[in-house]
Amino acid sequence: MNANPLSELPQHQLPISQPRYVGQDVPRIEDPLLLTGRAEFGDNIHKTGMLHAAILRSPYAHARIRGIDTSRAEALPGVAAVLVGAEVKAQSRPVFGIPEGWTGHALAVEKTHWAGEPVAIVAAEDRYVAEDALELIEVDYEPLEPMVNALEAADGKGPVVLEGKDTNVMYARKFTFGDVDTAFAEADLVVNEDSRWHRSAGNPIETCVCIARWDPFDQSLTLEGSHRSPLLVMPALVGALGLSPTQIRIYTSPLGGSFGVKTFARYVILLSLLAKKLGGRPVKWTEDRIEHLAGNSSHAWDRHHNAAMAVRQDGTITAVRIRAMDDFGAFGEWLGVGQIVKPITIFPGCYRIPAYEYDCAAVLTNKVPQGPYRGFGLPSHYWVLEQLVDLAAEKLGMDRAEIRRKNFIRRDEFPYTIPSGNVYDSGDYEAGLDLLLEKADYAALKEQQAAARKQGRLVGLSVVTSIEPGLTGTPMLGLLSPRMFSRTSSPEGMALRMDGFGKMIAQVGFPWGGQSQHTFVRQILADYFAVKAEDVQVVVADSSTMQPGMGPVSSRIAVALGGAVVGAAKLLAEKLGRVAAVMLEADPGDVELKDGAFQVRGAPARSAPVPQVAGFMLARADKLPEGVDGNPEVSFVWNPPDHYLADEQGRSHYGVTATSAVHLCMLEVDHGTGQVEILRYVMVDDCGVRLNPSVVRGQLLGSLAQGLGNALYEEYVYDDQGQLLTTTYMDYLMPTVMEVPVVEEYEQCTPSPVTSLGQKGVGEGALHTTPAAVRCAINDALHPLGVHIAEAPATPFRIWSALQAAATSP
Amino acid sequence: MKPPRFEYFSPRSLSETVAILAEHGDGAKVLAGGQSLLPLLNMRLARPSVLVDINRVSRLDTVRPHGTGGVAIGATVRQRSLHGDPTLLDRLPILGTASQFIGHQQIRSRGTICGSLAHADPAAELPALAVALEAEMVASSASGERVLPAADFFVDYLTTVLEPTEVLTEVRFPGPPAGMRWAFLEMSRRHGDFALAGVVAGLSTSDDGSSIKAARLVVFGVAGTPVRASAVEAALVGQPPTDSVLTDAAAEATRLLDPPADVHGSGAYRRALAQTLTVRALQACRESHGTAEPAT
Ligand SMILES: Cc1cc2nc3c(=O)[nH]c(=O)nc-3n(C[C@H](O)[C@H](O)[C@H](O)COP(=O)(O)OP(=O)(O)OC[C@H]3O[C@@H](n4cnc5c(N)ncnc54)[C@H](O)[C@@H]3O)c2cc1C
Repeated sequence: MNANPLSELPQHQLPISQPRYVGQDVPRIEDPLLLTGRAEFGDNIHKTGMLHAAILRSPYAHARIRGIDTSRAEALPGVAAVLVGAEVKAQSRPVFGIPEGWTGHALAVEKTHWAGEPVAIVAAEDRYVAEDALELIEVDYEPLEPMVNALEAADGKGPVVLEGKDTNVMYARKFTFGDVDTAFAEADLVVNEDSRWHRSAGNPIETCVCIARWDPFDQSLTLEGSHRSPLLVMPALVGALGLSPTQIRIYTSPLGGSFGVKTFARYVILLSLLAKKLGGRPVKWTEDRIEHLAGNSSHAWDRHHNAAMAVRQDGTITAVRIRAMDDFGAFGEWLGVGQIVKPITIFPGCYRIPAYEYDCAAVLTNKVPQGPYRGFGLPSHYWVLEQLVDLAAEKLGMDRAEIRRKNFIRRDEFPYTIPSGNVYDSGDYEAGLDLLLEKADYAALKEQQAAARKQGRLVGLSVVTSIEPGLTGTPMLGLLSPRMFSRTSSPEGMALRMDGFGKMIAQVGFPWGGQSQHTFVRQILADYFAVKAEDVQVVVADSSTMQPGMGPVSSRIAVALGGAVVGAAKLLAEKLGRVAAVMLEADPGDVELKDGAFQVRGAPARSAPVPQVAGFMLARADKLPEGVDGNPEVSFVWNPPDHYLADEQGRSHYGVTATSAVHLCMLEVDHGTGQVEILRYVMVDDCGVRLNPSVVRGQLLGSLAQGLGNALYEEYVYDDQGQLLTTTYMDYLMPTVMEVPVVEEYEQCTPSPVTSLGQKGVGEGALHTTPAAVRCAINDALHPLGVHIAEAPATPFRIWSALQAAATSP
Repeated sequence: MKPPRFEYFSPRSLSETVAILAEHGDGAKVLAGGQSLLPLLNMRLARPSVLVDINRVSRLDTVRPHGTGGVAIGATVRQRSLHGDPTLLDRLPILGTASQFIGHQQIRSRGTICGSLAHADPAAELPALAVALEAEMVASSASGERVLPAADFFVDYLTTVLEPTEVLTEVRFPGPPAGMRWAFLEMSRRHGDFALAGVVAGLSTSDDGSSIKAARLVVFGVAGTPVRASAVEAALVGQPPTDSVLTDAAAEATRLLDPPADVHGSGAYRRALAQTLTVRALQACRESHGTAEPAT
């Protein structure tokens, strides 16, 4: 840990002697408006003549639609239009998704695929009338047998979800890296576990909102609302509606959370078609909470695992096998299926595991289709892997921390290429572990645990690790669809303009959100040009004016936008430098930017402050050098370095940075109720240079809360008819401030050698680590009774049931 | 999530209120704090044609002393008064302790005490407390007033003996038996959730603590209404409050329960929870020198 890690960086790229903003707890620009609710969120938007939409949803998980009668709804005063599946089918193609061909239309057409699938949409004067109208639509359903059992779906049994398919297996692939069979054959010890990670997902405070307007005169579509990133929605619209991108304009509003769920391609298509039918009147749809829980492609990760680890007597891990089968729900919409393959990008975690096999599949069932969720499929992977490490340690009689230390990738091995091809940029896992054990006083905790056990208390301890890839590139998506994703670019762009007073406008392509992306743009630019933070305004472009960019997904913004900001600043400095050379009567090659002024190398007294140069550039066209226009403005698009298409085995340099984390959890299980109480939680995180430490802490604590949700609370429960039973927050339980423990958080800093300022991605954070930390500690607590929990969430009922079973078994 | 159309009345007096209820009968619903009714309306699970908002009715918002050590609580008194109102805190501190388990502060700031009783959710805290403390409900209608003991008030899940034309105007909690020490325990998945199971227990013992003089025991969240274990209460009298006596009492009090299953657990689990909590609550009564031992 270092007070100013930035200044020691070899690639320290800020032309300032002492950064004043980068690396500091600079207050977030986003806070005042977002936290007081004064920001113009999607649902605050009102347009002249605007109508309100409500959606009729299938009550059945699987049913044939024999007919729809909308006449009574259309006759209700205040109703402007009703749209049904047949019209949607005639006017659009199925919702975008990879692998191709595993989705339906934006409205159910011949049959419904999950309870909650949209069947019709109404536009009316207000939402009340729109919902009244829904009750007047008569749908003649013929219920069909629902497919609710993913294991049967994988085995080819039972009804088929998608018309025209003869299987429910949407994607299946076995990846093998290294000689797994030999490693298992020669292992001293093999541990294995079958486990079940139940459905859960992101639940932002603000749900999805879309306002659509079709302009019948110039045949164009305008969308506004809670879209997290216009260029992620655009392809879905273009593909489904057959419009050219020049006919579509997407504006984004500040977000009240996203966590991956704010793409909602299906609804954007649906609203666009409704707007077209309305012929000019704007129409708004605000997802209500039940729709969010039961109707959007908003669930994630519903996995069955079979896992095994081969170990030598001395604790060396030689191979791992994981079979992961994901109950994906009704469709493979958008990029969601990518979540099942992502584990290969970090498969061995922090460890030197020379051989592994990942046998993965995504199958369709009549449930809510999955979509992306923060972590994009990795949290369940660590939840499996780290438990295997604990099982091995226990069998070998090794300490859990020591077995991990033994297998860590060592600090002198970076950049480290894992067998599946990804490259970890830098790290020092052993130092992180040492810091954790020291801060937590691990030896004392072990004694406390031993003392508690003597009193019959069920106290458990865990130490677990994870790697968070900062930006996972498009080559991973190429594994699902080589046709659509034979690409290596994952761009993030920025346009940057300076006025004659040195004030800057930085334009990004995505809206305000809780992750403070706009704040750090300001921090970097203010340090780069040595101006005040307030002199930098960050503005949001719409789809037609933004630079190419994917926005805040995949823990990429610090890495990607961080690269774009520095890249754009450099370009602007170069451009200004050529003008400064004229002013200083020096050779452009001799002029450099330093501490807010251009100066002549070797003669620092000859200098011109940045604002003066920008002012000159705007005012004195007669003096501009050849090839320089009179406009201090540039744009720059960053792309990940060294990305290449995956090879036949599935190897690629998938990520950019590798953030490491090591967590310690101590908890107690109540024997009588099965409840878990966290006694101590300590974490160490190494995400390189922290551009804004308080923002990093916020990311870590928020993601810890979500990880705790996965570990103990959150689960979408279905009955055997495919009905979702958890459709309100009375039953879908997220931890509140009362449940989240006080966490001790310590910082480690191994700067990334590949990013602009040494930063690494940490946007997904503790969600990777906390589920594993909590489960391993629960199993440690239950170990004396011979009880083991292999389900997430580990609900009190599950724990109690396992304790009962152990107590009554002979 | 928008309610269907309804007619809205905001009467200022009790006589106006009961007149409106008399006129609309079955189609009318009283609106108090709205914390249970509004979600039902918005989800279109309840479809009253008339809402009678009692929040502006005069003289329903008071807490007054009632008898020796008791309190009478009006229909629009909010749940937050349970741990804020001096009369209540002074006379029935167990209500204050237990009320911390009702939802969250925002909910307690709007939700009413009488509304919770009238709503009769079997997992709610207040109905169980009303039964354990032998409260009386005052129901008013155009034809007069009825006073109903809590033991007869709750019929089943979300069902009471209140007629559609009646409004619950007051609940009266008598002063608790002298020397009784109380404990309130419940298990919910998160702080503020409805209980999976809960218990209100009271014990008084002889001066030297060697034998039980009186007991109260009500479990909730495990049947259609709060369940008072009267036979167990009677059987405890005269016994020493040892672990084995209390454990047997808890087993007996919960033996016949057959709670329904839901997404949070099976019926057997809830019954076991009720039993575990009952033992712990009785032990807490035995050991406490204050009034209650809050725990989750
Ligand atoms: C998130 C959340 C968590 C909650 N958690 C808990 C909890 O843990 N424990 C708990 O007990 N409750 C909980 N509640 C419910 C809360 O306590 C309600 O306030 C209470 O159940 C109803 O009181 P109310 O004044 O809001 O009644 P309303 O919602 O206005 O009415 C509820 C019902 O009672 C009827 N009613 C109300 N007052 C009268 C009256 N004076 N006469 C006749 N009928 C009447 C209404 O017609 C309606 O049918 C929770 C609520 C929410 C939203």
